Amino acid sequence: MFLKIIKNDFYRKKIITGTVFVFITMAVLLGASATNIVANLIQSMTELQERAVPADITQMHSGKYNQGEIDKFTEEQRENIEMQETMVLLTLDGSNIHFGKNQTMAGTVQDISFVVQNKKFDFILDLDNEKLDIKEGEVAVPIYFMEQYDLKIGDTITVKSGGDEKAFVISDYARDFEMNSSLTSSKRFVINQNDYDEMLEMQAGELEYLIEFKLNENGDSQAVQTAYIEAGLPANGPTVGGSIFLLFNAMSDAAVVMVIIFISILLIIIASLCIRLTFLATIDEDLREIGVMKAIGISKKDVKNVYLNKYRVMSVAAGIIGYLLSFVLVYLFNGNMRLYLSSDLSGNLKYLLSLIAPLFVYFMIVMYSKKILKRIDKISAVEALRSDIMERGKNRKYSFRLLTNKFFSTNIYMGLRDVWKRFKLYRLLFFIFVVCTFIVILPLNMYNTMNSPEFSTYMGIGKSDIRIDLRRTDTITEDFNKLQEELKNDSDIEKYAAYITSSYQVKNAEGSWDYMNIETGDFSVFPLNYLEGRAPKVEGEISLSYANASKDGLNKKVGDEVVVKVAGTAKTLKVSGIYQDITNGGKTAKANTSLSINEEAVLWYIVSMDVAQGVDIREKMDYYQNTYESAQINDIKEYTQQTLGNIIDQMTTIVIAGIAIAILIAVLITALFLKMLLSKDMSQIAIMRSVGLTSKNVKHQYMAGTLLVLTLGIIFGVLASNYLGEFLVSMAMSTMGAAKIELVNIAWQTWLLCPLALIVVVGYTISVCCKVTEEDDLSVVFKS
Amino acid sequence: MTNIIEAISMNKKVELGKDNELHILKDVNLEIEEGEFVSVMGPSGSGKSTLLYNVSGMDRITSGSVKFKGREIGGLKEEELAKIRLKNMGFIFQDINLLKNLSLIDNVMFPALVSKDKDKKAGHQKAKKLLEMTGIEKLADHNITQASGGQLQRVGICRALINDPDIIFGDEPTGALDSKSTEEIMSILAEINKKGTTVMIVTHDVKVAAKTERILYMVDGNIVAQKKMRKYDAQHEDIKEREESIMKWLVENGF
Repeated sequence: MFLKIIKNDFYRKKIITGTVFVFITMAVLLGASATNIVANLIQSMTELQERAVPADITQMHSGKYNQGEIDKFTEEQRENIEMQETMVLLTLDGSNIHFGKNQTMAGTVQDISFVVQNKKFDFILDLDNEKLDIKEGEVAVPIYFMEQYDLKIGDTITVKSGGDEKAFVISDYARDFEMNSSLTSSKRFVINQNDYDEMLEMQAGELEYLIEFKLNENGDSQAVQTAYIEAGLPANGPTVGGSIFLLFNAMSDAAVVMVIIFISILLIIIASLCIRLTFLATIDEDLREIGVMKAIGISKKDVKNVYLNKYRVMSVAAGIIGYLLSFVLVYLFNGNMRLYLSSDLSGNLKYLLSLIAPLFVYFMIVMYSKKILKRIDKISAVEALRSDIMERGKNRKYSFRLLTNKFFSTNIYMGLRDVWKRFKLYRLLFFIFVVCTFIVILPLNMYNTMNSPEFSTYMGIGKSDIRIDLRRTDTITEDFNKLQEELKNDSDIEKYAAYITSSYQVKNAEGSWDYMNIETGDFSVFPLNYLEGRAPKVEGEISLSYANASKDGLNKKVGDEVVVKVAGTAKTLKVSGIYQDITNGGKTAKANTSLSINEEAVLWYIVSMDVAQGVDIREKMDYYQNTYESAQINDIKEYTQQTLGNIIDQMTTIVIAGIAIAILIAVLITALFLKMLLSKDMSQIAIMRSVGLTSKNVKHQYMAGTLLVLTLGIIFGVLASNYLGEFLVSMAMSTMGAAKIELVNIAWQTWLLCPLALIVVVGYTISVCCKVTEEDDLSVVFKS
Repeated sequence: MTNIIEAISMNKKVELGKDNELHILKDVNLEIEEGEFVSVMGPSGSGKSTLLYNVSGMDRITSGSVKFKGREIGGLKEEELAKIRLKNMGFIFQDINLLKNLSLIDNVMFPALVSKDKDKKAGHQKAKKLLEMTGIEKLADHNITQASGGQLQRVGICRALINDPDIIFGDEPTGALDSKSTEEIMSILAEINKKGTTVMIVTHDVKVAAKTERILYMVDGNIVAQKKMRKYDAQHEDIKEREESIMKWLVENGF
């Protein structure tokens, strides 16, 4: 009997029920997909970690080093250290690596090195997560380069050095736990030992060392790092903990998961609101039925069950469909994961974990329906039969008289004032339009921010036209001086500034010494936006990156003191400011030129410059690239884009998905809303038509009202994405080292293009759906 | 006198479902002259209201012809019909049917604003005058929840009159009112009719019908009898006599 009622109800309200069903299904679909991706991420990360056995501590070093001392240290630290291995990196400049038709890798911001597979741990894997075993004459290229340069298996890459050259055939792609991510600034090519020796003879590139430690299960990482530095072992490069690699690897997929979960929660809210709307819109009609049921003696509980069962049945069906479809959707989303983390994502965890989503959605929907149905308790049988219960108690002061309307036609005015009079009803639509605008504008702003030159602010660099990076060649110091001399005399260059980054020992919060990269130079030439304070101007000042100044780092505020060891003597520097930086694990510092340079520990030189007006940046870049072959010359946008790498790609997907979802939601809800509103207002519409309004007049009223709500929704949506969105993004990015992101807001996109697109799409939906039936006899409505 | 309404062989059928058709009006012929005060009586389900809705163009006839002021309205487009309803006709319903979100005076002036025949101020003045005429000017700015059924029905009448219609249709306009209100509403309608507006109402109530000048008696979708009387003159005529004569006539026709 109850099933029959549900069935009839479904047939009677096909569109409404259908739409609610679609939303519940979509919520389950996205929820299940997100949990599925999380499961995949956990499983593939675990597997990758098991196979690759990454180092827990990696100390980078260039220049002299003695393995004997390190072995001795390892023995002393046996209680903590399980294994030690030193990987020798043969670091090459991108311009020396040729591929395809006269192409080189000169444009990359990544450091390229050739290595031989490790023996004990930190293995570099192939796409099946097997340890790479490279034959002579072959090479495995990092996935990052495979994507960037579209390298195929069987292609040849040639390393040229002086007059010598050596060709390699690409036999595999290298999945590298430690250096997969574009956020890690080095990439490792794997070759055979014999080829490696041959390259050493060719004297191609510079040598660098990764001194790696694998700790025991309960090994104390901090203790080992402190002991290492106290032992005075080679350490002029950054030290990287294992967790950073984990974070970088999971970053882009985790971001996708967060966005999907967010959208899924939104959909649950939307589905709930739809149910509420359905209830509100049909209550007049349903009340009579409820009254009849109560009058013939059916208990309250059973009456409620009739309605509840409808949503129970719907949630179960939607749950099953959403759950099954999620496996298809996930496949589209985890392309990145399949490439970088694991090609084989089969595993049972995801089947179980994704079940959480449909169960959660089911309970949410049923709980919400129960809450709404509580109203039934309050309705007596007689009241219900007399109906019109929703209209009682409305004795508010009368506002928006027809006489006061000065600007609009009467019909438009009727539509607009209806929104004010019944905002409770329209607020669902308002909320939806806010959300739709939000999920279009926020990703778009994020995308624009990442693509804007201003993004350099979050990478700890001031805005300039061109940036030249000089790294690790024999002639580095010479080149650096020559370059400065040349820039001084180049009239095309408006201004320039040179920065030297070297490694210093710094006293940490516990009082022991850590290594820290400090960049020195004149920071007033290309000013950086500071979170607090300002750039170091005079001797004795230092500025710290947000992550460095935070509790996990040195725990310093502006005005605090930092002790740095320069050329053997400790110097006390005052913190002049805190800036944002997501590069180098987020922990960097800047000091005035007056801080002497640790000559031995120079890591890299950077020159930033602005060209004079009218000078072609591209031409200037080409000139310097040709003159300084080993230098990396980028415009700032290129630099940020390469560093952010696939995060920007993921963002593009999210922007497109956001637009698609927003349009889908806006169209569906608008259609549903109008359908329900028109059916709720059937008698009022009939009254208007009886006094001589045409269907067109009535349609104009509803169009005006809905478009007003849309306009309000867009305005609030844009404001929300600009303010709330900025706050959310900053919160998410603070883990990476940028605590105050100011989203780039391209006015014509946020205030013109997106609103216009929404208005056109929704406007069209309104004009299609706002059909007041003309054919029906008016008396039918009055008599019903 | 010219006919304001003229129906010839008018039929109305309604599909209730598969193979279930209801033939409500059967070849009805009807003429109503300008300035007449007509009532339609008959048992429930005889087609009284359907007749009203079909001659007014609110519903569409299935076959036959209906003319309003000599113009065929059976096949008119929705927009043209709406225009006629707006400018030439007024409707009063048993359920009153006012717009919920408008005050009483705004309900009255709404059709005037839509028709744009008068400017806004003139429309407002006219509405005020009509409310005065029906004795509810004090309630002008009240919501519809703040007035009694009788008061609301007066608002309905004011709204019907706002655009100076040629005819007013009433579907049991006093059906939900007490006897005092019924009396008052009928006086207002008589007053309007006296000024030249044609009135056609459907009613069950002999007392109401007694105040009209012609009664159509319907059975099973046909007008089976008509009773023509003088216009009722309250000062010189005993209403009881009129009522008794109607009752007798109704009984003769099988009431």
